[in-house]
Amino acid sequence: MTDFGIAIEPVETGSRGAVRMFLRNKAAVLGLVVFTLIVLVTVFGPGLYGVSAKKMVAPPFLGPGDDLGPLFGTDYLGRDILAGILTGGRTTLLVAAVTALMTMTFGLVVGSLAGYFGRWIDTLLMRFTEIFQVMPSLLFALVVIFLLGPGTRNETLAIGLTLWPGAARLTRAEFLRLREMEFVKASRAIGCGDLRIMFRTILPNAMPPLLTWTTLIVVIAILFHAGLAFLGLVDINTVSWGSMMGKNRGYAINAWWTVAFPGAAIITTGLSIALIGDGLQDAFNPKLRGR
Amino acid sequence: MALLAVDNLTVTFDEFTAVDSVGFTIEPGETLGVVGESGSGKSVTALSIMRLIEMGTRAKIADGRVELEMPDGSILDLLTQDEPTMRSIRGNQIAMIFQEPLTSLNPVYPVGEQIAEALRIHEGLGRKAAMARAREMFDLVRIPEADKRIGQYPHEMSGGMRQRVMIAIALCCGPRLLIADEPTTALDVTIQAQILGLIKQLQVETGTAVILITHDMGVIAEVADRVVVMNQSRVVEQGPVEQIFHSPREPYTQGLLSAVPRLGSMAGKDEPEAFHLAGSLR
Repeated sequence: MTDFGIAIEPVETGSRGAVRMFLRNKAAVLGLVVFTLIVLVTVFGPGLYGVSAKKMVAPPFLGPGDDLGPLFGTDYLGRDILAGILTGGRTTLLVAAVTALMTMTFGLVVGSLAGYFGRWIDTLLMRFTEIFQVMPSLLFALVVIFLLGPGTRNETLAIGLTLWPGAARLTRAEFLRLREMEFVKASRAIGCGDLRIMFRTILPNAMPPLLTWTTLIVVIAILFHAGLAFLGLVDINTVSWGSMMGKNRGYAINAWWTVAFPGAAIITTGLSIALIGDGLQDAFNPKLRGR
Repeated sequence: MALLAVDNLTVTFDEFTAVDSVGFTIEPGETLGVVGESGSGKSVTALSIMRLIEMGTRAKIADGRVELEMPDGSILDLLTQDEPTMRSIRGNQIAMIFQEPLTSLNPVYPVGEQIAEALRIHEGLGRKAAMARAREMFDLVRIPEADKRIGQYPHEMSGGMRQRVMIAIALCCGPRLLIADEPTTALDVTIQAQILGLIKQLQVETGTAVILITHDMGVIAEVADRVVVMNQSRVVEQGPVEQIFHSPREPYTQGLLSAVPRLGSMAGKDEPEAFHLAGSLR
């Protein structure tokens, strides 16, 4: 397409092209803006708002906008919902971020080793992965929490332990596919070693699905943690969006605001991250760049 | 002493013998054509020389010797070398280009960086120095507008340009042997001629020996000094290119040669017609 004397537009390379490609996806930019706002609000919000999420500040079940009540109303113990969302967001986002990091790191190492080397390494690692996969995830997370005791750290660990096999499987599948490609053979033919081929030749090609998966993991972790908290299986002294919904669930019909605002926070966060993932997938595909 | 001597090379895939007692030699600066139909063992032979065949496949090099003369005059049997030694040889002493220029470049890196990678591995060059050398390689393989092209991704280039990049990657560390596995098969005829001409020209400039694997007798006639004809895992016949073309001894070689359409053979005929293969039924 370029050999007929047609002027070729210079194409941006490397990270600048990727950024430009990301910015072209309006939905992804919206997701990034919303997510950044959520992070800023949860980081600085509690300090600026200055109301404790655990203290009774007003009569119970004050609706949003009721006289003298807090902006988002109060829950069944008269605690400020807005304060809960600001403080609870910290827990929820921290759990999600650490889970995603842990899941992807572990999944990537296991999956790339299994997919790249194959044979007995693959068999061994995949059987190990299956041990985690065959257990019902919620039940497994519960057992881990029962054994280790509640607390944000143990909850994160429990969620991470149930989610990493998916990441390992996806990485393995990508490596299995890519290791047969001609350019991998070509890399070997110029004298690249195994590590260089795994992480410089193959991994960048596997990044688009892995990045999307990471954003998915963040969303799943938020929901998973919310689920655990909803069931009341997390540390009762830690406020999170999920625990707010869980504790107020009995009053959802009569006092919708007690569950609707934390629920909306979870959905908005999840959606914004999913949009970012979509944009990242485009940004890391060099074939879409320069169009 | 030959640059590379392959002796009694035998490669098996489980029960199947893909390469059976293959032997040939190649002198420095020479072009050896390896010709044969699909599945005759040409590529397996090439990958075995590079010791790339056993990676991720069920292939096993069952027997034989592949002796490479090193620059210091010593002789290494490549089949007994460990992996680190082989890594230092691949790309540095023996380089390889592949059939599909569309898929043999990594889609996520600009082509310049891919040339630089080989230089960084073998010559320990820094990023800047390697890129400068990559730029020189672009001129060597006659890629126009090198400054612009060097930052492009493989999908932004045509097949011929990509194969030029592959050649640049292969030659950047100054290998003494280049194995070209069907380098022109995926390209159209005019580009084919350009690439063959380029390989030939670079061979004169750099003194690299070339093993050219192909199924096309026309390609062999154009560039090879000597020819190895393979069929069903074995070497059928080998000799200087003139001898193979003028007085082929084996029926298989005669068959291959008769498969090449001749200029003027259709003169005086209105319609195309099937041409007769030696040894075929009709």
